[in-house]
Amino acid sequence: MNCEVCQLKELDVEHFEIREVLRCILHTILFHRALGLVRPKDIDLELFEITYVQCGDVELERKIDEKIEQFIDRVEKHPNKKNQICLSFYEVKNKQPTWFTNKVERLYWEQWYINLNVAQHQKGHSGKSSTSKIVVNPGAEERTVRRAALEASLRDVLFQIIRFVNEKKDHIPPVPNLEGVSFPYEITISSSSDSAFGMEMFKRMLQTGHPTMLS
Amino acid sequence: MDLHSYPHGEHGRFEQIFNQFLLKSLHIILDSRVPMNRPPSRGGEIRKSDRWFNLVLGDRPAAMDSLSFWNRSLMEPMVIDIILVQESRDSLSEHDSRSTLATEMPAETVIERWVVQYEHQRSMAPQIGDAFYKKTYKKSIILLRSVYSMLRLLPAYKAFRKQQSFKQNCGFEINYKICSFGSPLLRSEEESMKNYSFIPIDAQQGRLSVSVMYREDLSDFNLDSCVSHPIEIISDYVGSPLTDPMRAFPCTLSEKGHSISFQTRGRQSAPPSPFQRPHSWSSGLQRELSPQQGQPYSASPPLYRSPYEYSSSPTEAYIQRNQNQRFPANQKAPCDEILSPPFSSSPSPSPPTKSVIPFHNRRHPETAPMSIPHPMIARSPRYLSPNLSDPSRNSLPPLSPRNTKYDSSSHESPSGIRSIRRLDSARTGEMSNTPTNAGPKLSRDSKEDSGRFSSLLSSSSSPRVGFSRTSSRLSFQDDFGDCDCPFIVDDVDPPDNQTSSNLDARNCSEVSSLAPSTIKKSQDAAVGALVHMLKTAPALRQESCYYNTQSSKTEFEGEVGAASEFFKPRKTSDAFEELKVYRQMKDLLLSKSAAHLVSKEKTEF
Repeated sequence: MNCEVCQLKELDVEHFEIREVLRCILHTILFHRALGLVRPKDIDLELFEITYVQCGDVELERKIDEKIEQFIDRVEKHPNKKNQICLSFYEVKNKQPTWFTNKVERLYWEQWYINLNVAQHQKGHSGKSSTSKIVVNPGAEERTVRRAALEASLRDVLFQIIRFVNEKKDHIPPVPNLEGVSFPYEITISSSSDSAFGMEMFKRMLQTGHPTMLS
Repeated sequence: MDLHSYPHGEHGRFEQIFNQFLLKSLHIILDSRVPMNRPPSRGGEIRKSDRWFNLVLGDRPAAMDSLSFWNRSLMEPMVIDIILVQESRDSLSEHDSRSTLATEMPAETVIERWVVQYEHQRSMAPQIGDAFYKKTYKKSIILLRSVYSMLRLLPAYKAFRKQQSFKQNCGFEINYKICSFGSPLLRSEEESMKNYSFIPIDAQQGRLSVSVMYREDLSDFNLDSCVSHPIEIISDYVGSPLTDPMRAFPCTLSEKGHSISFQTRGRQSAPPSPFQRPHSWSSGLQRELSPQQGQPYSASPPLYRSPYEYSSSPTEAYIQRNQNQRFPANQKAPCDEILSPPFSSSPSPSPPTKSVIPFHNRRHPETAPMSIPHPMIARSPRYLSPNLSDPSRNSLPPLSPRNTKYDSSSHESPSGIRSIRRLDSARTGEMSNTPTNAGPKLSRDSKEDSGRFSSLLSSSSSPRVGFSRTSSRLSFQDDFGDCDCPFIVDDVDPPDNQTSSNLDARNCSEVSSLAPSTIKKSQDAAVGALVHMLKTAPALRQESCYYNTQSSKTEFEGEVGAASEFFKPRKTSDAFEELKVYRQMKDLLLSKSAAHLVSKEKTEF
C-alpha cells in the first residue's frame, strides 16, 4: 500500500497564533479521516475570519490540544529552528512475536506535514533581530498586512487539504473503527535541525515499504 | 444508461446511494447558505437520514420535504443556485437589459452554483459487486466531508453568517434555487466566478461528481454595511387580560406588577392578529424557526417551488416511501461490514421521468414552503405531545389542571391526523362551533401543546423536541404561540374577563373536577385579582391631603410609594403644595438653627 505524503504550505506565524493555526489544520485533516458517525461542529477562529470543522469528539480535542502544547514548548526551547508537526495514519499489523520483540507493526499509509515558521520575539532573542534595523513593535498596519497574509495562507492550506483528500482516496484502508477518528493516528513533533527528525523519517520510510522520497 | 441490464438489487442499492447523496449534499448546502433553513440544534437522537454517509446534520430543511427525488432519473443533474438578493441602490451594469427596472426590483446575483450529477460513461465497464458499492460509499463519505468543509471556506459563507447574525438588518438576503439545469449566467457573472470540481467518484457505469462555481469577490455587494440588531421596542405590548382578553399575556406579567403601566397604551393600539404578531416573550430561535412568523408583513407565497414536485399522487407516493425510509422499524439489518449505507428494506424503483422547467424563486426571501401536512402525520404525535418522553418535564412551567388532563388524552390518541385536525379547527376559530364535545378540548389541547412548546423552547434542556419541526408545522404552532396565555386557558380568570366565554365556561366545569394546580392558579389569580383591584380602587385624590402635613412625613413617603406604584398622574397644584411644604420645612429648620446659634452665643457670653 502506498503511503501518501502531503507537505502543506509553510506558514509564518507568531507565537500567539500557533494554537489556533494548528487546531484548524489538524482538525480539518482529522474531520476528513473520521469516517464514522460524526456530528460536525463549526468552530470560528478568533484571530482570523475562518471557520473550520471539528468531529465533535472530546477525546480527540484533548489529544490535539495536548500535542499543540508540546509543540509550543518545543518552539520555545528551540526558537531558531523551523518546526514541523507530522500527522500520520497507519494500519496496525500484528507481527509474529519473536524472542526479542513482541511489537506490532505500524504500516503508515498517509502522512501530513505541517510546517510552521514561528516568528521570534524581539525581546530576549537576538537571532532574528540581529539586523541593523531594530523594530521593537511592528506598526499596526504592518501587523494587519501580515495577519491578512497569514489568513490567506491558512485558507490556502485548508484548500490544499481538501484537494488532497479528494485526489487520493484509493490508498485508504478498510475502516477499523467507526468511533471518533476511524483510523489509528499519531502526531509527532520535530524540528528542522533535529538529527532525530531525519532518523524518524527514514524509519518510517522503511516501515511503509514504499519510500516516497527514494522513488 | 440502461437501468434494466443490472440486477435489480444491485442497481437499487446504487440508486439509493445516489439519491441519498443528492439529499445529503442538498442538506449540507442549504444548511450552510440559507439561514432560515438552518435547524437550531442538532442534539438528541440520530435519525436514519443522519446515518447516511455518517454525517449527522439534524433536521432537514423544510423545503426538502417537497422534493420528489424519486422521480428524477440518474441522468439529470441537481443544480443549486445560491442567490444574493439586494435592493439595488444604483442602476445595474450597462449590459443588463433590466437596468431600468433595477431601481424597483431588488438585484439578484448568483454567487454560487453547485452541481451534483451522475455522469454516465458508456465506455466504462459496469462495476458491480458488494466491494465496489461499499468502496463507492466510502468515497462518497469523504466527498461529502470535503463539500462540508469547502462550504465554510468559500466567500458566500461570510454572507450567510452575516445574514444569520443580523437577520433583516443586513441589507441583503440569500435565496436558493434548485433545478435540473442551470440558467445561463451573464458573461460578466461567469467571468467573475471561479470553478472548483471535486474529484468524481466512480460509480456503476459512470461517475458521481460535485462541482461549484463561486464568486471569489463579494466586496461589490457591500455586505459589511450591516446594522447591528437594534433593540426592539414592542409598541403593541399586550396589556391585561381584563382589557383585551384575546391577547396573549406574557409570562413575565406574573412576576412584575408594574407592567400594568402598559395597559392604557395597549388599549389604544389596534389589537394585532394573534397569529402574526411577534411576541415579546418568544425566543429568537423560535422566530428563526418560523419564517412565516418572523415576517408577518410578508404575504409572499413560498419562496421556492421545486421542479421535482409533481401532482399530488407522486408526492404522496414519495412521502410514503420517505416515511418507510425514515422509520427505523422498517430498517433493514445493517450490513456485515462496518461501513455500509443504511439501506431501507424497499429499494426504490426508478421510473423514467421528464425534465421539468425550474420554477424561479420569488423575490421575497421567504424560504418556508407551502405547508404539507401529510409528511408530518407520522411525526406529529411526537411533537404534539413532547411531555410523554421529555425527561425535562419538571423544568417546564407548571401546567394548569386542564393541561394535565389533555396530556393524557393526547397520549391516548396519538393519531397525527387528529392532531392536525385540532390545529386546523383552532386556527379557523371553530373552537366554539365544533359539534362534538371534543371540539373545544381538541382545540384547547393544541393551544396548550403549543403553549407547552413555547415554554419548551425557552426553558427545556432538550430543545430538539420542540425544534424538530418543519416550518409548515411551525406555522400552526406559532399561530397558537400567541395563545400561550395562562389567563386565557386558566380557570381563575376574573369574572368580567372577555375571553371566549364558551371555552372558559366549559373548561371551568372541567377544572372543578380536576386536582387543583395551586401554583399556577395562585400566581395568575393573584395578578388578576390585583388588576381587578386596581381598576376598581378608589381615586387617590382623596388622600392627597396627607402630602401637606409635616408630621405625616412617613405617611407621605408611603403614599408617594403607593402613588408611584399606581402611576397616578400629578397635577401642578399638587406640586405647588409640595413645594410649599418643603419651603415651610426649610424655614423651620433655618429658624431653629438660627435660634440655636443665638442661644449658643448667649451662653458663651
